[in-house]
Order: sequence, then structure tokens, then C-alpha cells
Amino acid sequence: MLKIKFEYRITLAYLVIGSLWILFSDRLVDNFIDDKSLMTDMMTYKGWFYVMVTAALFFCFLKRHLYKLRKAEAELERHRNHLQELVVEKTRNLDLALKELNTTNLELSEKNDIINDQNAELKDALQHLKNTQSQLLQAEKMASLGILTAGVAHEINNPLNYILGGYTGLQNYFSENGIANERVSMLLENIKTGIDRSAAIVSGLNQFSRSRDKYDERCEIHSIIENCLVILNHQLKDRVEVIKDFTNEPFLLTGNVGKLHQVFLNILVNASQAIDERGRITIKTEKSGKWLHIDVSDTGSGISKENLPKITDPFFTTKDPGKGTGLGLSITFTIIREHKGSLEFESELNKGTTVRIKLPIN
Amino acid sequence: MDKPAILYVDDEIINLKLLEANLEKKYHVLLAPSGAHGLEMLESRNDVQVVISDMKMPGMSGLEFILKAREKFPSLYYYLMTGFDVSADIQEALSRGQIVTCFTKPVSMGVIDTEIKKVIRE
Repeated sequence: MLKIKFEYRITLAYLVIGSLWILFSDRLVDNFIDDKSLMTDMMTYKGWFYVMVTAALFFCFLKRHLYKLRKAEAELERHRNHLQELVVEKTRNLDLALKELNTTNLELSEKNDIINDQNAELKDALQHLKNTQSQLLQAEKMASLGILTAGVAHEINNPLNYILGGYTGLQNYFSENGIANERVSMLLENIKTGIDRSAAIVSGLNQFSRSRDKYDERCEIHSIIENCLVILNHQLKDRVEVIKDFTNEPFLLTGNVGKLHQVFLNILVNASQAIDERGRITIKTEKSGKWLHIDVSDTGSGISKENLPKITDPFFTTKDPGKGTGLGLSITFTIIREHKGSLEFESELNKGTTVRIKLPIN
Repeated sequence: MDKPAILYVDDEIINLKLLEANLEKKYHVLLAPSGAHGLEMLESRNDVQVVISDMKMPGMSGLEFILKAREKFPSLYYYLMTGFDVSADIQEALSRGQIVTCFTKPVSMGVIDTEIKKVIRE
């Protein structure tokens, strides 16, 4: 339906009603009234009547229209107020939510810190555990080895003593009875060489199994290295050339003899195992101020760059299962640290490795 | 001239026989298979100048035997012999002068002879 705006409608109604009233009321008055003065009065009444009726009509129209408008306005106002309240309330809710969120965030970040701390602690604890485990394992191994070697040493030293005594007796017997000749001397000499070598091995073994924990012993580094080479002789001979470049300068090194034997045995075993077929191990000692430098170089397979930082970690090994525990260098590192020295490695794949040891001297 | 008398205590018979065989020309070698026998022998004679004892023996150890013998015969020269390393006990006895030295097995007869010659009275 065509919707006409209020102001047009009311104007149109006024025009229509007014025109109709003028047309029909004049005709009606003309039909019934002839008197001129009465006619004039009637016209006046008619005019008043029209004014009254239109006023009443306009009043009604306007009132109805304005009522609608006011109602709409009031409704609008109410809506606006409500909206404002709503906004205020929502803002308040949002603030609350934000605060909660902030609190939660803070708590989370605190928890995160705690977790990070605990994580670090756990890592430390794990490392500590690994170190302790490796030390325990080693201690146990060395204890059993100590009992074994001490027993073996004693049991072998006695028969060695018989042989040495017998050798001396024979030597005297031959010379007293004038039957000493080149052949007898050669045979006796061989017996003596055998005795000396066995005695050196047993004495070397004894050094390894020393279970003293103190670091106040006089350590003859060169004889410690020699002992290790005696023990490793079967691995090295005919395969690895060992070059010793020992310093002649005097020095006094105090520490733990048994533990230093372990250090050089570990390092020399690694050097020997790194050499696949034939190769060379060079051991160099040098005095420099308050330090003794011991460099052990091999012409073996070397260590890759990614493995180099890990080689002193407990249980790190590149050897096949059962071939190595991954404890050797970890223990070596610990022992060197206990002697207040330092241990460094230089290596190139397929070229070889140099182990640089630094120990304090008096 | 009488040969100087030395006493050797060891539980290993072969060691006893060998020391005697090698040193009998120079010394009058007395042998004892245990510390207890060694003490008895010292009681019964008065010509022993040097005592050598093995360390590890059943019952009384060499060091125990020497300490006991020293109480009665403090003027003699005492030597230990060991198949083990020189232990802390032996080290202590050495530093106190209770023993002259400690031989480690295998020990050459020459070394023993040289050591004895240093202290023996002609």
C-alpha cells in the first residue's frame, strides 16, 4: 500500500473536507433557508462548526501521531539506556576476564619458570647420576682388578723369586766349576731377560691396582708411561712404532700414581685402537714454567668434528657394543681435573689425534 | 774366621733353600719357616746379626715377627721381603727405622748381599 507521509495526508484531508463542506453545506443552507439575516448567521455558525470539527480532528490526528512519536522516542531512549548499561556491563565483564587472563598468564609464566628450573635441575641430576654411575662402575672394576692383580702379583713374584734364585745359583755353579762358556751365558741371559720382563709387568700391574685415594704421591710420569707401554706391548709390537721424546729437565709432580696409570693406559689404548693396521704413536713431554705438558699423538683414524666435544661424556662411545664402555676418557678427564690439570684434544679424520695433557708441577 | 750368621724367615720352602744355596758361602744361613720358629731360633743363639723375613706368612706376618723380635733383640738389623707393593704399614716401619729396607720379590741375591755387607760387623 502506498504510504503517504503524515504532513501530506493531513493537508490533503484538510483540503478535501474543507472543499466538501463548503460545497455541500452551502447547497443545503440554500435549500432550507431563504432569510438573508438568518443566512448570514447560519454562515457564521457553519464557519464555527467547521473550525470546531477540524480543530477536533487535527487534535485527534496530531495527538495520535505525536503519541506514536513519543512512544518511539521513549522506546529509543530506553534502548539507548539499556545499551549503555549493556556496554558498561560487558566492559566490566571484559575487564574481569582480562584480569583473570592476566592472572592466569602470570601463573602460567611462573609455572613455566618452575618447569624450566626443574628441567634444568633434572638435567643436572641426570648428568650427576651418569657421572656417579660411571665412577661407581670404574671404582668397582678397579677394586676387583686390584684384588686380582695384587693376588696375581704375589703369586707370580714368588715363583719369579725361585727362578731368579735358581738363575743366580746356576751362574755361580757354572763359574765355580769352570764350565762357563758363551752358550751357557746366552741361555742364562735369556732366563734373566724373561725374569726382568715378567717382574716389570707384575710391578706395572701393581701400580695400576693401587687403590689409594690421596694425591700426595711422587709421580714419575716417565716410568708411569713406560709401565703402560709394557702392559700394552702385545697390542703395539710389530704394528705400532712408539716414539718417546721425554724431557731431561728435572721436575717434581705430585698426585696419585695409580690413577695416573689409568690416565695414560686409557689414552694409549685409544691411540693404539685408532690405528687400523700400521702407525705411529708419539709421546712428548715438556716442562714449561709451572706445568708439565704431555702430548700423545697417533696416526690413527681421528675423531669427527661432531663427536669431538662429546668424547669425554660418560658412556659416549663409537666402538661396537661390548668393545668399549664409553667411560675411559670420562674417567681420564675426571682424574686430570682432580690433579688440577687440563686435557685437550685435536683431531682430524683419517689423519690422527693429539691428546694434550697439562699437569701442575712443583 | 766364622761366617756372620743371618736368619731368613719365609713360609715358602723353595725360597729358603735358594737363599741358603746362594749365600751359604758368605754367611752362616739360618732358616725358619715361620715367625714363631724364627723367634725360637733367635732365643737359642746369640750370633745372629741380620734377620730377613718374608712379609706375607700364615699366622704371624713378617712385620709382626720383626716388631716382636726387635723388643728382645733391638741391636739386630731387620729386613722385610714382599711380593706385594710396599704397603703403608711397611712404609711406616721404614720411616721409624724398625727395618733397614724392604726387598721386593723377585729380589736378586746380589742386592741382598750388598745390603747385608753395609751393616755387618767384620
